[in-house]
Amino acid sequence: MSKVKLIARDLEMSFGARLLFKADALALCQGDVIYLQGDNGTGKSTLMKILAGLMAPTKGHIETVGFAKNAWWRRNPLLGKAVYLHQHPYLFDGTVEYNLTYGLNFSSETKAKAKQRITQAIEMAQLGSLLHARASNLSGGERQRLAIARAWILQPKLLMLDEPTSNMDKDSQELVLKMIQQLKYEGTGMLLSSHQNCALTAICEQQWHIEGEQVMTTYPHSQSLPAQEPLYVIAN
Amino acid sequence: MSDGWLALLQQALSLLFSLDPDVWSIISISFSVSFAALLITLVPSMVLGFVLAFAPFYGRWVITNLVQTLQSIPTVVIGLLVYLLLTRNGPLGDLKWLFTQEGMILGQMLICAPVLIALSQAAFTSVDRRAWETSRTLGASWCSAVWTVCRELRMPLLLAIVAAFSRILTEVGCSMMVGGNILNVTRNIPTAIALETSKGDFAQAIALGLVLLILALILNFALGSLRGKAMPRSH
Repeated sequence: MSKVKLIARDLEMSFGARLLFKADALALCQGDVIYLQGDNGTGKSTLMKILAGLMAPTKGHIETVGFAKNAWWRRNPLLGKAVYLHQHPYLFDGTVEYNLTYGLNFSSETKAKAKQRITQAIEMAQLGSLLHARASNLSGGERQRLAIARAWILQPKLLMLDEPTSNMDKDSQELVLKMIQQLKYEGTGMLLSSHQNCALTAICEQQWHIEGEQVMTTYPHSQSLPAQEPLYVIAN
Repeated sequence: MSDGWLALLQQALSLLFSLDPDVWSIISISFSVSFAALLITLVPSMVLGFVLAFAPFYGRWVITNLVQTLQSIPTVVIGLLVYLLLTRNGPLGDLKWLFTQEGMILGQMLICAPVLIALSQAAFTSVDRRAWETSRTLGASWCSAVWTVCRELRMPLLLAIVAAFSRILTEVGCSMMVGGNILNVTRNIPTAIALETSKGDFAQAIALGLVLLILALILNFALGSLRGKAMPRSH
């Protein structure tokens, strides 16, 4: 089966008269792990939401390659396949188990496979003892783990993680890192945003940087290249 | 004085527990008319509340304020309007709904709808946008996401339903004008209480008042148990 791919062309996002960012061409493929950098208010979350199909850009369009065609009542092929995780994840009113299995109500996964994924997700996110607890009673780290596990169960082709380890203690960060590495191992394409370099950003192979209302893509900082000099600019 | 009150209360309870046909006919008419009005109005009003909360269309501000104004219109004025519509020479006179339960249902729908629209709009406006986005990004269809949002807002939406139902079940003006207070046909609890009090037959009025009181208690306790020990949620 071919890898899925998102290609954004001539993207432009404005709120009223204020231009947030522009990008000539951006590509996010299954298997890519991209680090999205930018200051507060530069539009990192907005860009992620656009690529996840939750928002429409002011200009430009997103091409989808390799996504299964949905039924007419689910015209947006990205929903459920390119999953966006909020910086502060929203957990539905109910138990941890309800939240964990929420997305499976809309997937075509067989019951046996779904059950297997649920068991794995519980183990991976260490949520076994919390399954019947109310989601609203979880700590910040537990909420984030639950949110990632909830997405992981769906085996998304692409995943946008908005500041996934912000305000988390070291143990929770390590656990989240393991979950993200597992997703990477399984071939999920990921776009991660973070304010600072950390263990999470070290696993990224490519960087996107929003600066001066432009989205630039660069080689990773680990390749002994000056971080401030983009080697390869897709969009500027 | 207190003996008199006690005697009245005993008579009222006796009317209720002896299944007095007149009293129970009044109760049955009251509930069937108000339930019908609520059921017919519920879904369209909630949809309109949803649209007013989320759809950015021209004139939304005017409609929102109109709906909120309609909430405070006295029920007799709505009764007058429905009377004029249903009277023999009125635009809906051919329906012959004046002094019928259908006419009462129409009147109560007009009273109920603004309450449901305004309160559901307020509930939908208060929703956390991430609930919608999370639902959609996890693969929910548009309809499933709406259902999820409604589930998240079930308490304020239930409160809207209870508030609307209470308003129509206890209104006198419109039922009196449009229904005509005909025994076993259009006499409901509030019109019967008004009539029996004016006649000095307080026992039946108290019996019917007790029914409304018990209903209010049941609804509030039911809502309370649904709410459980819920504390303000942190997101």
